[in-house]
Amino acid sequence: MANQAEASPRKRKALDSELGMEAAVATDMKQLEAEEAAAIVLNPSNSVGAGASGSREVFPEEYDWSCCRDDDIMQQQAAIREEAIKIPFVGDKEPLSSLAAEFESGSPILKEKIRLLAEQYTALRRTRGDGNCFYRSFMLAYLEHILETQDIAEAKRITGKVEQCKNTLQSLGYTEFTYEDFFSIFMEQLESVLQGKEASISMEELLSRSRDQFVSDYVVMFFRFVTSGEIRKRAEFFEPFIAGLTNTSVDQFCKSSVEPMGEECDHVHIIALSDALGVAIRVVYLDRSSCDKGALAVNHHDFVPTASADESSDTPGNSTEPFVTLLYRPGHYDILYRR
Amino acid sequence: MQASRARLFKEYKEVQREKSVDPDIQLVCDDSNIFKWTALIKGPSETPYEGGVFQLAFAIPEQYPLLPPQVRFLTKIFHPNVHFKTGEICLDILKNAWSPAWTLQSVCRAIIALMAHPEPDSPLNCDSGNLLRSGDIRGYQSMARMYTRLAAMPKKG
Repeated sequence: MANQAEASPRKRKALDSELGMEAAVATDMKQLEAEEAAAIVLNPSNSVGAGASGSREVFPEEYDWSCCRDDDIMQQQAAIREEAIKIPFVGDKEPLSSLAAEFESGSPILKEKIRLLAEQYTALRRTRGDGNCFYRSFMLAYLEHILETQDIAEAKRITGKVEQCKNTLQSLGYTEFTYEDFFSIFMEQLESVLQGKEASISMEELLSRSRDQFVSDYVVMFFRFVTSGEIRKRAEFFEPFIAGLTNTSVDQFCKSSVEPMGEECDHVHIIALSDALGVAIRVVYLDRSSCDKGALAVNHHDFVPTASADESSDTPGNSTEPFVTLLYRPGHYDILYRR
Repeated sequence: MQASRARLFKEYKEVQREKSVDPDIQLVCDDSNIFKWTALIKGPSETPYEGGVFQLAFAIPEQYPLLPPQVRFLTKIFHPNVHFKTGEICLDILKNAWSPAWTLQSVCRAIIALMAHPEPDSPLNCDSGNLLRSGDIRGYQSMARMYTRLAAMPKKG
């Protein structure tokens, strides 16, 4: 009872749709897509038939929704969590062909899009679908990039940004001890991926830290603080987007949909995080959208940070292609690797 | 474990420093265990809890502050969102809306706010919730006031 009553508006919506309040639109492409993606995300090892056919068994059209009570919902949520923790926070790098295998019996649009994707990208790395997948993907993609390129200028630049984010939180009235630990864990990771120091780490070590509950969750929380601070700082800018998304105030949105662990990331969060840290992010969309005319294409969107007024135009990283590239399937983010 | 201990120690210092800032809240850490705290909170004015002092027990998990503290009322209270027998509290920030931005002190403030603004639609005490939901404000208030007098005020004479 309590659980359901407290669910955030977005969660409640998800519950509603699970309850079949939208069963009438079961043929709606979008919903099928979301279910399909959810089924896939939950069970990536199931290569054949993990798609649409599987999800229809979970929600048969003639299902009697009236017997779906709180207990059942809680049981289902527990089952989802159990399924999710079978996947490490971040997986191993996999060739893109593993994605193709997963969709072998899936929609022809998806299969074609994966083929197109393979022209530009070589590999993907899956992340756990626990509501933190965007932040965790971003963490590893960013730190891995610094580790590989040893881009000291970029590390310096983001260090300055992190400092600004700290000041933002302070001026917003956050108590320093509530966020400082999360900031220092991130800075520790950033410093240790730069080589030539005593504390320098290898890719293996970075991966194992990203899989360590403490480090991984603390960095995720760092990003959540940064995101929340940016949204609150520019409340006027974000307010209309938030009102359209959840019909709540900026403050309430940050409290209930940004700061708590496990709360999923939406466009608003991505814009805020990208702006706050000054890091461009490319999100490649793998969904079943298509257009009638012309050839099929895989859509992507680049989140390019807006340069704040106090910066000169020579901000590095803004003009070039984003080096953080994420694969989005409805409801989930993984990391993509370029050719 | 180490991180939660360090964080709790900072909260402890903050509590010592700001004792006078929040006269309605008195947070005390267990002498021998920093993961156990108790708090005395004053019932908010213009509510049936006014004049009462309520004791809360905090049990803090090792993964704090990633996970919320477990808080319950030790003092009997008649409130829709507090379990009448166990003192368990139904409050979103103690469950899925928790974030490390909260502190033990601000949790106490949130509980005081909950006392002043009950949410009868997610009741742990159905009798109390039903009184409010059926519009019997007077019934709810007199029950709540009676228990405040019985359990949260010093005995007279």
